Amino acid sequence: MTTLSNHVPDPRLVTAVAEHGDGPLHRVNPWTKVGTVGALVLAVTVFDRLVLLAGLYVAVLVVYGSAGLPYRRLLGWYTLPLLFVVSVAGPLAFLEPGTPVWGAVSTPLGELSVTWAGLVLFAELGCRSLTVVTFALAASMTTRYTHVAYVLGRLLPRPIDQIALLTYRFTFVVLETLEDLVTAALARGANLSEFWANRRLYARILGTTMLSAIERSERLVKSMEARGYDGDITLYGDVPRPPALELAVVVGSYVLVVGYAAVAVYEVGL
Amino acid sequence: MAHIHLGEGSFPLWALVLWTTLGVALVSAVVYRIRKGGIETHQVALAGIGAAASFAVFQLNIPVWGGIHMNLTGLVGVLAGPLLGALIALVVNIFSAALGHGAVGLLGANTLVNATEAVVAYYAFKTLLRMDWDVFPAGASAATLGLSAGAVLMGVIIVVSGVNGSALPRGDLAVAVAGLVGLNLGVAVIEGVLTGFVVQFLASVRPDLVGVTDRAARGESTGVTA
Repeated sequence: MTTLSNHVPDPRLVTAVAEHGDGPLHRVNPWTKVGTVGALVLAVTVFDRLVLLAGLYVAVLVVYGSAGLPYRRLLGWYTLPLLFVVSVAGPLAFLEPGTPVWGAVSTPLGELSVTWAGLVLFAELGCRSLTVVTFALAASMTTRYTHVAYVLGRLLPRPIDQIALLTYRFTFVVLETLEDLVTAALARGANLSEFWANRRLYARILGTTMLSAIERSERLVKSMEARGYDGDITLYGDVPRPPALELAVVVGSYVLVVGYAAVAVYEVGL
Repeated sequence: MAHIHLGEGSFPLWALVLWTTLGVALVSAVVYRIRKGGIETHQVALAGIGAAASFAVFQLNIPVWGGIHMNLTGLVGVLAGPLLGALIALVVNIFSAALGHGAVGLLGANTLVNATEAVVAYYAFKTLLRMDWDVFPAGASAATLGLSAGAVLMGVIIVVSGVNGSALPRGDLAVAVAGLVGLNLGVAVIEGVLTGFVVQFLASVRPDLVGVTDRAARGESTGVTA
């Protein structure tokens, strides 16, 4: 997709890899992946040492690679998560109290220096963020459409589940519309490289995308009601419970993380 | 959308629990209100496809400051209203987190931020229309106000929570976070202006969508065509 951004994962690519891939992670139960995401979120929140966080990140990277997923694209997809890390941890690298790395630089605001503690904090935040981002992407790219829809339908309360299911279904359609509009504008000689000069063109593209989506929703209402929609979009797929081994791994992960947090971080006496 | 989402693991555990609880409380209140009022099929369809559009629009790279992405949360608020707008914010956050943008553990915090944007934009737009503002300035101002409220709330959330692993006092952290909030405020103005043009475009082709049907007869053409 050359017309749209290449540092935001394209849901069509993600779904295509999920549908057609056959790596080891494709065969893992979707509920196991959901459980693992939770354990990773907990781990990156409570782990307090860079070496642990870096180790966890490397382990997740290995899992990502062993699933046959593309590392090269991952670098581009890291742009947005890293923006938060740079925006927050960047200034903190200078402000964090500690020993300066290279010595202080005089500025009109006073002496400025990157401290070792600031650098460690930057690396820690990077590892925390990228660990879950990498696994979330790996899980998304190895879980089939019907399984994602089933999990969404089971996890979310009504009507959020209905909204999420329609969102998932129609994201691909709306993306096609958006891409067609951009392609058509470019084919007619439009130059999208400058925002302000093309603000009305951008508004036209985005407005038409929204309008097309709303009009599609109006048609959808008729078809939903014609089929007797009563607040429930029926899902025909099924995701079984995870096998005992996978369940044991997930439970073990939580035990390890909670145990580490209790003993090493919160110093709970045994 | 506050363009830079709160990242995974940024906050200590107590803050994660706090923001998740508040996010769940907000969503529960919205779901309760919607269920109590009885949700119509067209509302479900509008919210579902509106969220799909918001999520899809994020793919478009806007060439400002090296490239920014927007979900048009202010526009979503104006079109879908505060209740559905809040649910759309949640759903977009869930899908964004699944694709590595945002955070699974901070869905509550990010939803609070984005729901604030949608709700403030909706009420600001209605208020400005009642004050007889034209569609473009009303849409642009409402979206900018909503997004600015979200950006400030995001800064407040970071300062209240503290950054995981940082020994910095809250006052110094506020200084550090000011840059992030400032960046988001800048993007809010750009997205606000763009939202104003989109609302103006929608008012010219479907005035009923933005609640300006009565003005359509006396309004001038924007010169924008589909």
